[in-house]
Amino acid sequence: MNERIGLFADLHSNLEAFDACMEQAKELGVTRMVFLGDIVGYNADPGAVIDRIGEMVANKKAIAVLGNHDQAVFEDHSKQMNASANAAIEWTKSQLNATQVQFLKDLPLMIQEENICFVHASAHNPADWNYITDSMSAWHCVQSSGKTYTFVGHAHEQALFYQSAVGKLIRFAPHPGDEVPVMHHRQWVGVVGSLGQPRDGNPEACFAVFEPELEVLTFHRTAYDQFTAADKVRRAGLPEDLANRLITGK
Amino acid sequence: MPINTDIEAVDEIFQDGKVVDGFILGTEVHRGGMASLYSATKEGIDVPILLKIPRVGRDQPVESLIGFETELTILRSLKSPYVPKYLGSGNMATHPYIAMERVTGRPLEDSIKEGKVFTIDEVVRIGADLAQAVQSLHSQGAIHLDIKPENILIDDQGKLTLIDFGLSHHARFPDLLAEEMRKGIGSAPYISPEQVIGIRSDYRSDIFSIGVIMYELLTGELPFGNPQTMSDLRKRMWAQAFPPRAIRKEIPRWLQEIVLRCLEPRAADRYQSAARLRQVLLDHEIVTLTERADRVDPLSFWDNLKRMFRAAGYEPSPSPRPSMGNYDAPLMIAAIDTRQSDADLRERMQTTAKNLLCAYSESRLVCISTIAGTPTFEGNHESETASGIVRGHLVQLMEWAKPLKLPPERISYHVLEALDPASRIVEFAKDNDASLILIGASHKLPNKVTPWRTSMTKIVEEAPCSVHIVRA
Repeated sequence: MNERIGLFADLHSNLEAFDACMEQAKELGVTRMVFLGDIVGYNADPGAVIDRIGEMVANKKAIAVLGNHDQAVFEDHSKQMNASANAAIEWTKSQLNATQVQFLKDLPLMIQEENICFVHASAHNPADWNYITDSMSAWHCVQSSGKTYTFVGHAHEQALFYQSAVGKLIRFAPHPGDEVPVMHHRQWVGVVGSLGQPRDGNPEACFAVFEPELEVLTFHRTAYDQFTAADKVRRAGLPEDLANRLITGK
Repeated sequence: MPINTDIEAVDEIFQDGKVVDGFILGTEVHRGGMASLYSATKEGIDVPILLKIPRVGRDQPVESLIGFETELTILRSLKSPYVPKYLGSGNMATHPYIAMERVTGRPLEDSIKEGKVFTIDEVVRIGADLAQAVQSLHSQGAIHLDIKPENILIDDQGKLTLIDFGLSHHARFPDLLAEEMRKGIGSAPYISPEQVIGIRSDYRSDIFSIGVIMYELLTGELPFGNPQTMSDLRKRMWAQAFPPRAIRKEIPRWLQEIVLRCLEPRAADRYQSAARLRQVLLDHEIVTLTERADRVDPLSFWDNLKRMFRAAGYEPSPSPRPSMGNYDAPLMIAAIDTRQSDADLRERMQTTAKNLLCAYSESRLVCISTIAGTPTFEGNHESETASGIVRGHLVQLMEWAKPLKLPPERISYHVLEALDPASRIVEFAKDNDASLILIGASHKLPNKVTPWRTSMTKIVEEAPCSVHIVRA
């Protein structure tokens, strides 16, 4: 059977979105999961999400890389983050046990396979957490990864950068559910979008599925109960704007 | 970082009698600049097969590969009786080919070259069929962008097929030809003004090309010639085609109206869907005749000069999505006063919105609310997307719309900044071509004059569309 890789990024402790996406990934016949960082931060279920991913990683059903919010749990990032993000990190620290923190500490910055590179922000100086938002940043990323396919998160909006005839990388806004041919003679950077805190005005959770043999990448959006997730954020005493963000998707 | 073009030269792999992925190659039926065509057979496929093989390899230009990849992507996704069926493709890296149904029929180009004189009825028939074929692409999100007589096959029964998608655009796939080195790719006589300046996302470009073809079939001439230079190509941004009726008297006025409307420099002035074009061709009673129908003389030198100066600032019309070329998807605006607390009115407005949305299955609702001040933005990278104030209003709008249970593609939310809410709402309705504004008649006390109340009267007076006032 052909391999189907599920790509999930910026999960941000959103258990409702996580469960909904795992359910859909199962229906889509995903054979392997890749978690592209920012497992925690912002929302109300850091422990539960880490435990679920930890179990899949332990069973060799998934791999995961480190995100800046994950790193902020054990290293000081307060100067790079805004007040709400910092408040959420402080709260997250109070919720995690030693095993869960250790799981985050053990995550690698980047995983390179034969044709694919998985990284949270950019393959170009991954520890600097550069956003891939334009042609230039995407170009730096493929130059550093050197792979045909690079999959990232960090920027919360879904995008596919593709190499044009002159080498420049062009941004494409994918439409959910469409199979986009990604032929391997070009280089591609897929920004899979945020599972746990979408910001493009649509509250539905983002992820993507890559089929290496068929050279096809499909972006997905999954509806989930964002009102419950937002309620949990409020009840946890996290900043109000974090709850509103889940409802508005902005 | 050049694209890998290290592919075996075509001729080494594709030869008569060879078998590639089960396709048994027959003879080469055509050899063009970009690709060769072979007949083929395969067990299990009972239609005649054509293998299109790009002229790629070490000695070939990279453009032919991009055109090939574009055609593969788009042809594979299309389902249309007016397009050859996709039957398979080969590995891009080692032996690229596209297998498709071999369609019977001759290129329209051949009939033109033979000097065939088309009757008015024949032109109308071809124009209408072409419009239908093009509509089937547009409704799937694709734009052909290279509609010309060479790419139109017509069989003995008159059935029409569009071929060659090497320059096409599809809203749902990366445009591999975007930002190419050359502008105005396509065939000089047939491309639209917006294509000349490099725009590849306007479906109305195809409607322009249909206009050129109908003009050519009617008069035997090309409306804008066959320019070879960029400056000559740009003439179609302002020039008016010589009126067809001045060349051939028997052309009815309504048909001249239709052809010239297709040839309007601004896409927004043409027919806004291929479906509409087909409709007017088949039922000319509904054609609105304008001065276009009456033109008999070419423009004077002075008129031409005026149009040329106007075109110096040629701005293409905004390109809507291909599939939006249809009038059955009205946009409704619900202007929601977030300050207002009348629960009955709120419920009545929600019910009204719901009922209206049920009436039009493709309609969309935009919920808007206005705020006076400019919100302050957080200076941080992660959250500079929207301010807390705007977000607060958005949450209220979303909670207002929650009971309507609409899927995300049918609803959107906007918080508009305005000192004069009514004018802003009217402007928003104009910009978005709304069909209806829904507002609540708040404030039951007759003597209570509030800004929102005057807003209501102003909206009613100035709106470009219908206004529905809801009373509790």
